[in-house]
Amino acid sequence: MAVADAELVRPREGGEGVPPTRPTDDEPIARYFIYSGVFWLALNIMAGIVLSIFLYSPAAVQQVVPEELRAAINFGRLRPFHVWVGIFGWVSMVWVGSMLYITCRLTRARLAWPGLARVLLYAWNAVILGAAITFPLGYTQGREYAELSWPLSLLLEACFIGLAAILWRTVAQRQEPRIFVSVWLFMISALMTPVVYGVGNKLWDPSGAYTGMNDAIINYFYIHNLFNAWFTTAAFGLVFYMLPRFTGNKLYSHRLAMWGFTSVWTGQHHALYSPAPEWLQIVSVSFSILTVIPNAALLGNWWLTMKGAWWQLRDNLPLRWLTVGMIFYLFTCLQGVAQSFRTFNSLVHFTNWVVGHSHLAFVAAYSFFAFGLVYYLVPRMLGRPLSPGLRRAADWHFWVSLIGITAFMYTLWFMGLEQGRDWAMSVPFMVTVRNLHGWFLIRLASGVVLGLGQVLFLYVFARYVTQRNPHPSPLPAGEGTV
Amino acid sequence: MNIPGELWRLAAGSGFFLALGMGATILLPSTFTPPPSGLATRYTPQQLHGRQIYLREGCWYCHTQQVRPTEANQGTVYTRGDIGPVSKAGDYAYQKPVFWGTERQGPDLSHVASRVQSAQPAWELAHLEDPAALVPGTIMPSYGHLPQSDLQDLVDYLLTLK
Repeated sequence: MAVADAELVRPREGGEGVPPTRPTDDEPIARYFIYSGVFWLALNIMAGIVLSIFLYSPAAVQQVVPEELRAAINFGRLRPFHVWVGIFGWVSMVWVGSMLYITCRLTRARLAWPGLARVLLYAWNAVILGAAITFPLGYTQGREYAELSWPLSLLLEACFIGLAAILWRTVAQRQEPRIFVSVWLFMISALMTPVVYGVGNKLWDPSGAYTGMNDAIINYFYIHNLFNAWFTTAAFGLVFYMLPRFTGNKLYSHRLAMWGFTSVWTGQHHALYSPAPEWLQIVSVSFSILTVIPNAALLGNWWLTMKGAWWQLRDNLPLRWLTVGMIFYLFTCLQGVAQSFRTFNSLVHFTNWVVGHSHLAFVAAYSFFAFGLVYYLVPRMLGRPLSPGLRRAADWHFWVSLIGITAFMYTLWFMGLEQGRDWAMSVPFMVTVRNLHGWFLIRLASGVVLGLGQVLFLYVFARYVTQRNPHPSPLPAGEGTV
Repeated sequence: MNIPGELWRLAAGSGFFLALGMGATILLPSTFTPPPSGLATRYTPQQLHGRQIYLREGCWYCHTQQVRPTEANQGTVYTRGDIGPVSKAGDYAYQKPVFWGTERQGPDLSHVASRVQSAQPAWELAHLEDPAALVPGTIMPSYGHLPQSDLQDLVDYLLTLK
């Protein structure tokens, strides 16, 4: 009995896996990708708060903005800025940095074409900087998630292709014969994403738009499958890497993890009740229900790998981010399927519920994964743990973010349900807007709490990375504690 | 290349399903090109410019142009049912891109030019310049900072939304 207990409750030094002792980033590009992502997070949060104020009282912003900046600092121009620096800057760059680093660890190979990887880092940052400049200036293609103007869009496509080339080449040079499931998922994600991005943005046409109803249908294909092919497929790979390392348990099933590929058929559930063909809507609902397969495979694997590791949540910060992120990912899946049913869809479509849902996916699920990755990978790259003071501040970052985002999302969901009910009851539109006024203030306040959490994060991160590195000799290529 | 066969098969399989999904959900629907409906508009240069302003200023983030069958002739902007008739595929025949939208912080504009108040060019212009003066409690920002010519063309475009 005592032996079994001892095996079950394996004490872990520091509570966060094998503590970092020597730096492992023989190729620092991955680390700079993560640094870049953190920088873009700061801009994303600032824009988000300004947008929140706009929705409470546009005059409050417009009165303080000088006349010549009023065109640039307006809701319709900051909205794409907020989304792009958030999903293509912050989340995507943490994804890329983590994918490059993890692929090298898991394959025991040096990063292929480090020169190209460096160009990729500059180019990706150039794309996001370009987005951050061109959107306020009014350069946009006017399509959701595809607003980026043509030259920048081509550059981003080149970045996705470059990423695929580097990942595949790195795997081809590997020392480790077996390929862990994370690497498979990264490779497939990197192959599919350029196709989805290229078609969705109509890269062969500078306007980036199709004509008539097809424009909407292809845009729905794109917005959903950018999510499937890029954010989710890569996230599955990252989760399968994080789970065993954060918990110290073996991944429950490698075979089950192979079921993690997402389907590309679901995008048209955004077109429910639209003029799009009826059969297309029914196909999309069917496939939305079928997403239970990859998601149940992922969540089951997560649950079973977590067995005996829950107690670690108290001290293990990266595991806590991952676990709460997974719970929110489960919410995302449940909401996503519910929204693809026409009854529920008719209630919440076009309401603030949708805004809550997108923040659930990108903030509460994917950004939480990203924080887990940052808190786990960067100390291992640099070979030193967070100082006790910063570690305490990092705890606060977690709790403040969790409280902020939870309040934020529930506010938006309540608002959405109220709007949906009022619209269905033919309440005049302006009455519904006035009814929401107080809710928008709560949403702004919770957004500010979330933002304060990120200020804390930026402080911890900046203090941590600028501390002098006491470890002069990095580990040999491909070796390390992870 | 030191890539095992199973990985190539995986890539081929993923590519196959991606192609199949694109075929089913993009190519197949695109073979059906609906004829322009009575509401489809061939834009004048001013209206087209106004439409570009609508795109550039991101009006479409808060205003949809899609009336769903569940709400058609029921949904209410000012008076019961004035959201208008259901949108049909042919309505969008000449639009590139379309502004179906994802959110409604403001009302649907598919038939904005069929509502008594918003069909008046003078009201539209004044509303763009200072929405709060005409609609107390609105959360629409002011567009008074835009050049008058832009606003005029934007109004021209809005009036095509019958």
